[in-house]
Amino acid sequence: MTLLQKILLALVVLAAVLPMVGVPQYWLYTLTIGLYYAMLASSWSLLVGYIGRISFAQAAMSGLGAYVAVLTGQLLGWPVVPSLIAGVVAAGLFGLMIGWLTLRLHGAYLGLTTIAFAEILRITVTAEHQVTQGSRGLQVRPLIEGAGPVTYYYIFLAAAVVSVLLMLALLHSRIGLFFQAIREDEDGTASLGVNVTLWKSLAFAASTAFAGFAGGLYAHFVQLITPSMMSMQEMGYILAMAVIGGFSNVVYAAFGGVILQVLLEALREMGEWRLAVFGVIAILMLRFAPNGIFGWLETRLKRKDK
Amino acid sequence: MTLVAIAEQAMNGLIISTFYALIALGIALIFGVLRIVNFAHGEFYMLGGYACYLAVTLLGLPPIFGVIFAVVILMMVGMVVEQALIKPIHTGKVDRPDEYAIMITFALAILLLNLANSIFGPWPQRPAPVARGIFEFGELIIPGDRLSAAGIGIVLIVGLLVVLRYTWMGKAVRAVSQDRAAAETFGINITQASMLAFGAGAALAGAAGALIGPVFNVVPAMGAVPAMKAYIVVVLGGLGSIRGAIVGALILGQVEVFATILIPDSSRALAYKDAYGLVVLILVLLVRPQGLFGVAERRA
Repeated sequence: MTLLQKILLALVVLAAVLPMVGVPQYWLYTLTIGLYYAMLASSWSLLVGYIGRISFAQAAMSGLGAYVAVLTGQLLGWPVVPSLIAGVVAAGLFGLMIGWLTLRLHGAYLGLTTIAFAEILRITVTAEHQVTQGSRGLQVRPLIEGAGPVTYYYIFLAAAVVSVLLMLALLHSRIGLFFQAIREDEDGTASLGVNVTLWKSLAFAASTAFAGFAGGLYAHFVQLITPSMMSMQEMGYILAMAVIGGFSNVVYAAFGGVILQVLLEALREMGEWRLAVFGVIAILMLRFAPNGIFGWLETRLKRKDK
Repeated sequence: MTLVAIAEQAMNGLIISTFYALIALGIALIFGVLRIVNFAHGEFYMLGGYACYLAVTLLGLPPIFGVIFAVVILMMVGMVVEQALIKPIHTGKVDRPDEYAIMITFALAILLLNLANSIFGPWPQRPAPVARGIFEFGELIIPGDRLSAAGIGIVLIVGLLVVLRYTWMGKAVRAVSQDRAAAETFGINITQASMLAFGAGAALAGAAGALIGPVFNVVPAMGAVPAMKAYIVVVLGGLGSIRGAIVGALILGQVEVFATILIPDSSRALAYKDAYGLVVLILVLLVRPQGLFGVAERRA
């Protein structure tokens, strides 16, 4: 285990004991939101960092998962767990559809197509206000009746850790190798007999399913959802989080999500300026440290070992 | 529906098309020369609106200077952005140029949006328009602020086409967008042409923002919807194609005004107004990624 891995593991352990050492509820709430973003940032990096497919639909997929989970509960009377699963399946299937439809597209063409899908979803949710309450927002029942912030915190921590572990398991399997091979040389990979079509579609589906899961949980935590959770602004935060943490690694991206959300709260006095500062940091990172803070640390620490 | 109503809608569509074309031409120009889609284009448009607001409302200059001011400022902003963030792609300093270009311009968009939010606040501003009142053509009535803005827009578009067609600078830009390597062999300064194209692209977006600002208010988030429309236009016309951007804008303008009045439930029709173009965008990309006038690439 490298030094960086030890540090990150220690941070996770620290996160698990935080509620026991009397951290104020306000910060637990912030961390819970941070864990939601951790799931989004890491699932986004699963797609962008490993198979090299860009998507701007991650926030919209989280919203899709959230709305499906909430509406199956309200309209069909499903209990929380089945409706959460419905959200995951809906987001996963939508991702599979996008992935399959856009097989031919790369780079900016793919980016534009995913923006279009995301915006159509957001516009539909806003327009069908008889069902979704539109931009007034949809009231959501709590995940667990009468649960306090500590319970939610642990649920989100467990969800984020399990999600990232599942992603790592996927990436360390043969499938993960296929992903990276496709990223490096799609035609070459296909010529070696890898089913590029299948894995490219599946990578999209896996990434969006995790986003749908995060969105469903988030909806039942904040208990009010609006179409703005699907906006490009929100997508921008997810991108900045993944980039600052390091989008070439799902673990780094997840930490980027938590860290950025905590900093956003801690620097609240700066007002809107803090968002501008994060924009600058994201740009500088992309330009000079494309592997993010943790990717940069990793290479630094490696160099020291030698 | 009466003939006058149809003519009025068609005219509205034409006016909107002018602004779509202005913004889209910038994207097309940038894509042609640099082979990247600028995802911060809507924010350049927004900055143009604020440049106009600064010049007209705060400095008290006549409205036409607001447009000129916006063009000059955005030209400079564009050239600086190109030098700082885009140039490294073409000098081989970036690992994954495709993804880098998309993410860096998207991050720039987020930065500019929040910067505008911090400096100007989220409140709408409304600089004075170039002309007021209404114009009457027989029974056809058109608000003067829109018509004058569209008129200036058309002048700018024609100006751009003339520059691209007849000046040495314009020919250099077109040469680079046709064949980068060949243009370089013939002694064209690629670095300069790239900077120029990005600056001009940003300036066009800025001009559009400055022209529309007085009509629909200047707010930090004003760029999102028009930029999306411009992406639809360039994809429809073919990414990088100048002719395609103009034809695409004309088509989208008419589709939008007439699709909206053809749907009976008016509130829902309005809510979905921005979605029609997006459906067009997806269909074009899936069926014919090179658009109407674009050149087919092996990897779209």
